[in-house]
Amino acid sequence: MILPQFEYRRARSVADAVALYKKEKGKALYLAGGTDLIPLVKLRLQAPKAVIDLKGIEDLRIIASRGGSLSVGANVTLFDLKKDPVIAAHFPVLIESLEATACETLQMRGTLGGNILQGTRCLEYNQSLEWRKARGFCLKTGGKECNVVRGAKTCFANYCSDNAPSLISLGAQLRFTGPGGERTVKLESLFTGDARTPFAMEGGEVLTHILIPLKKTKGAYEKLRVRESMDYPLVGAAVSVIDGKARVCVGGVGGAPRLYVIGDIRDAAAVRDVAEKASADAKPVANATVSPVYRKKMVGTLVKRAVRRALAEGKR
Amino acid sequence: MKDDLNIVGKRVVRSDSLAKVTGEARYTADLTFPGMLVAKVLRSPYPHAKIVGIDVSKALKVPGVKAAVSGFDSYGVKWGVFRYTQDHAMLHTDKVRYIGEDVAAVAAVDEETAMEALSRIKVDYEPLPAVFDPFESMKDGAPQIHEQYKNNINIHINIDVGEVDRAMEKAYLVREDTFKAAGEAYAMMEPYAVVASFKNGYLDLYMPNAGPHVRAKALSNMLKLPLNRVRIRHINSGGAFGGRSEVAPGDLVASLLAIKSGRPVKLVLSREENATSSRQVHDIIATIKTGMKKDGTILAKDYKVIYDGGAYSSTGPIATSIPFYVYEECYRFPNVRYNGYRVFTNKGIRGMYGCHGRAFLAGNEAQMDVMAKELGLDPVDVRLKNGLKSGEMTATKSKITSCGLKETIMTASEKTNFRKRWAKPSRLKGVGMGCVAIMCGFPMGFRSGSSCYVKINDDGQVTLVTGLVDNGQGNESMVIQVASEVLGVPMADINLVNADTEVTNLDPGAYSQAAAFVGANAVRVACENAREKIVAIAAEKLKVKVKDVGLKDGSAYSLKNPDKKMPISWVVREAFFRGEPITGTGSFFPNIDFEREWVTRPWGQMAGTFSFGTSIAEVNIDGETGKITMPRFTSAHDCGRAINPMAVEGQMEGSIQQAGVAAITEGNLWDGGYLLNPNLLEYKVPLACDMPDMDTIIVSSRDPAGPFGAKEGGLTVRMNAYSAVACAVANATGELFSELPLTPDRVMKMLERKKGVKG
Repeated sequence: MILPQFEYRRARSVADAVALYKKEKGKALYLAGGTDLIPLVKLRLQAPKAVIDLKGIEDLRIIASRGGSLSVGANVTLFDLKKDPVIAAHFPVLIESLEATACETLQMRGTLGGNILQGTRCLEYNQSLEWRKARGFCLKTGGKECNVVRGAKTCFANYCSDNAPSLISLGAQLRFTGPGGERTVKLESLFTGDARTPFAMEGGEVLTHILIPLKKTKGAYEKLRVRESMDYPLVGAAVSVIDGKARVCVGGVGGAPRLYVIGDIRDAAAVRDVAEKASADAKPVANATVSPVYRKKMVGTLVKRAVRRALAEGKR
Repeated sequence: MKDDLNIVGKRVVRSDSLAKVTGEARYTADLTFPGMLVAKVLRSPYPHAKIVGIDVSKALKVPGVKAAVSGFDSYGVKWGVFRYTQDHAMLHTDKVRYIGEDVAAVAAVDEETAMEALSRIKVDYEPLPAVFDPFESMKDGAPQIHEQYKNNINIHINIDVGEVDRAMEKAYLVREDTFKAAGEAYAMMEPYAVVASFKNGYLDLYMPNAGPHVRAKALSNMLKLPLNRVRIRHINSGGAFGGRSEVAPGDLVASLLAIKSGRPVKLVLSREENATSSRQVHDIIATIKTGMKKDGTILAKDYKVIYDGGAYSSTGPIATSIPFYVYEECYRFPNVRYNGYRVFTNKGIRGMYGCHGRAFLAGNEAQMDVMAKELGLDPVDVRLKNGLKSGEMTATKSKITSCGLKETIMTASEKTNFRKRWAKPSRLKGVGMGCVAIMCGFPMGFRSGSSCYVKINDDGQVTLVTGLVDNGQGNESMVIQVASEVLGVPMADINLVNADTEVTNLDPGAYSQAAAFVGANAVRVACENAREKIVAIAAEKLKVKVKDVGLKDGSAYSLKNPDKKMPISWVVREAFFRGEPITGTGSFFPNIDFEREWVTRPWGQMAGTFSFGTSIAEVNIDGETGKITMPRFTSAHDCGRAINPMAVEGQMEGSIQQAGVAAITEGNLWDGGYLLNPNLLEYKVPLACDMPDMDTIIVSSRDPAGPFGAKEGGLTVRMNAYSAVACAVANATGELFSELPLTPDRVMKMLERKKGVKG
């Protein structure tokens, strides 16, 4: 499948990128590693007039410790991040989710920012234009109802980042620069809850840095998938523990990851309650390769397993 | 049989390896010709619709577009492998029968122009009710997909041997189960591709294909061109697995566009088109009833198997039969009844597959183990007791002339400590065994044989000319190795001209496992005939007896006094002087009963010989998630004799992946007539990290008719590896599978079902 025509612009700085975006009157998309964007453009799910390449912006490739946080530039590749000693020493959950993302060649291309801002996925959505035209457009592509759950006016596409749940469990924040200036938000509040337009962002905003509280944590990431590499999560569960308090985040089901807090990780009943609640909250539908009933059940199973492993210091 | 061989049986580097690993090897998509155009196909958005009209005139007005075609530009000749299955016009004027079906096409100077032109083609459809489930399709009142097939039943194969009902009554243990399996995707590395050009009344086609001669015949029929004017050329193939056996809609599309435009045309399908609109694999539902004696002897088998056949006949009767035959060629069935139904649905065209029939074969083997367990027997013993031996006849009267089944069962089970582990599986760990036999070639009329012409050039180098086809499995290297053995010339000094219909003769092609047994045999005979001529002259010149002449390393020498020798090139030059150049022709025609017919007379000798194999899978199941991991996989294959053991092992390893590990990952997913996973992300071909440690064991039964004793090299694993997995899962869980692939959700269901029984 060949790419459609678009203009290619290379940004030298974040300010330059935002200026280019304004110049293209909003009909532009930012490009970093391209592992999410390029397939979407090939499938004609995105049709940018221009693509603004952020890869050349040096500032976005730096990992630095700053005021009690680790600041990770959005353009740091997943592979480089995985090899970073500070990450390894502090955030076992993130090391595991990075390792579980796609495969190493894609980790070398894909960036942390792009991984967080990847589109939501569905068997009926990530298809070519010809396929979707024959099928009839779904809710997410401008149709009147969901193609998976007939009659539904809700989109059930799945947010499939492996690393966003890990970062949420670590209490990470995102820093944006856009036409309206700079802002910093908690990662969990990035999500709209609507899988059609999953991120609460202003047009032209560039994700510049991911800020992770620099404390030693225990943690684990559990990923359900059919193959041991390449596959997106069918369910993902991240757990980070600081001072006995656990933050649990579930991804891979629905348009937004869900955060749960366990006051005392050693309280087995509390763990069980959160696992049950997470499973009850998850509303999987038949839009992935295994059954929704099973995925729902696995939410609880994976939460419990991740907690168990976090306590056992990562042993599998 | 001669055992002091110089090169046959040796682990040699394949003749094609260097070009392939360096990227030198050319494939169809690499080809460029002056003035070549790019073709694109407009496809049906409907699963079933009447075509009211097709208007390509606006497409032709797009600058850069050189031709546009639809069914109205073809003769409408319908293709079918058999006279009674001719139902596929490839480009239609009446109706479309599946989503993604070829409707019209354009050829333009580049891909973007071609895409623009496609959007200008206007097709008026009148949608018709469609049917996607074979059981619904067989019901009275279901949408009729072809007029001539009542209740959409394309093929019914009925085989009835002995007295099944009486035998069932006599059996000590009877069990009936139903097993389902999703159809697979061929997912060959190279998608469908073709380059067609038409000049001076001759059509040339370059494309990966498994049988150029049968393809040329089909195209000559459809294009109403004399056969000599359709030339299928040789090109490397990036895998076939059964998916390139038959003529395809793209062949006709590219040919018509080339004829219309007068320019070479290249058509390369996208990964999605390859999945939706080349060939697909049948979904199968197999009901298996088995009657066993107390000692494990199989008394009777009663089968009802439904094949979801998609929209056209394709290889219909063959596809509806093969799973049964590869099983009856393995075990003794005194009483057996097989009812196979191939049913039309509004889904893509289905063809044969290297791993065809997994619901049936895995179902049989897994059920056998459950019955053995109930009788307190060991599955190894049950298989040995029922397994066919050399000299025996199958239920449908094929004679087995060489058989290493017992050896494959014994070596594989001993190497894995199978008996002990099967009897006492540790929690959620299991071992399972699958056996099967494979026909080396099957009846294809006068196309069942192969022939070869060999000439030796004045420098002593050799040119072989044969119709033999290589789809990537190494057939070309195999026949070069055979020629090297017979002629005493190094492999590097042998050139091969093959699979080009202009110069090569008929050959069964690379889809009935006939290449080694039939194709290499013809090469052997041709080379032996040439060798006789060399030896006669060499004996005269070296002043030794004919039987004392050996050929090795490009020289003829005295076996008694090896210092007495001369280069073969001298012999060849002498032969030219005498006006009798060193050439040879040879052919091989297997012993097949040609009265045999798939539907009307399903008995008689099926093939010249049969290969046998046993696979053993070891599985661990995650009790919380149902996920299966496979630490180790062992396969033993009786290939008669391995011409190149390294190549045979490669085939076996590939088969472990494509049939064994795929049994837990691969399956086409459908939403009605929409294929949900027409890509390699959601269609889960196992990856390197999913692969078990593999142990491949070659068993040599030395077939009396095979070239140096050889039979086909590896396909048994492709048809028993999933059985081994299904049996191992049954061993680990105590439950029979109901549907393949065994994805974690299905395994979890099995575990829950087991708990329910206990609770």
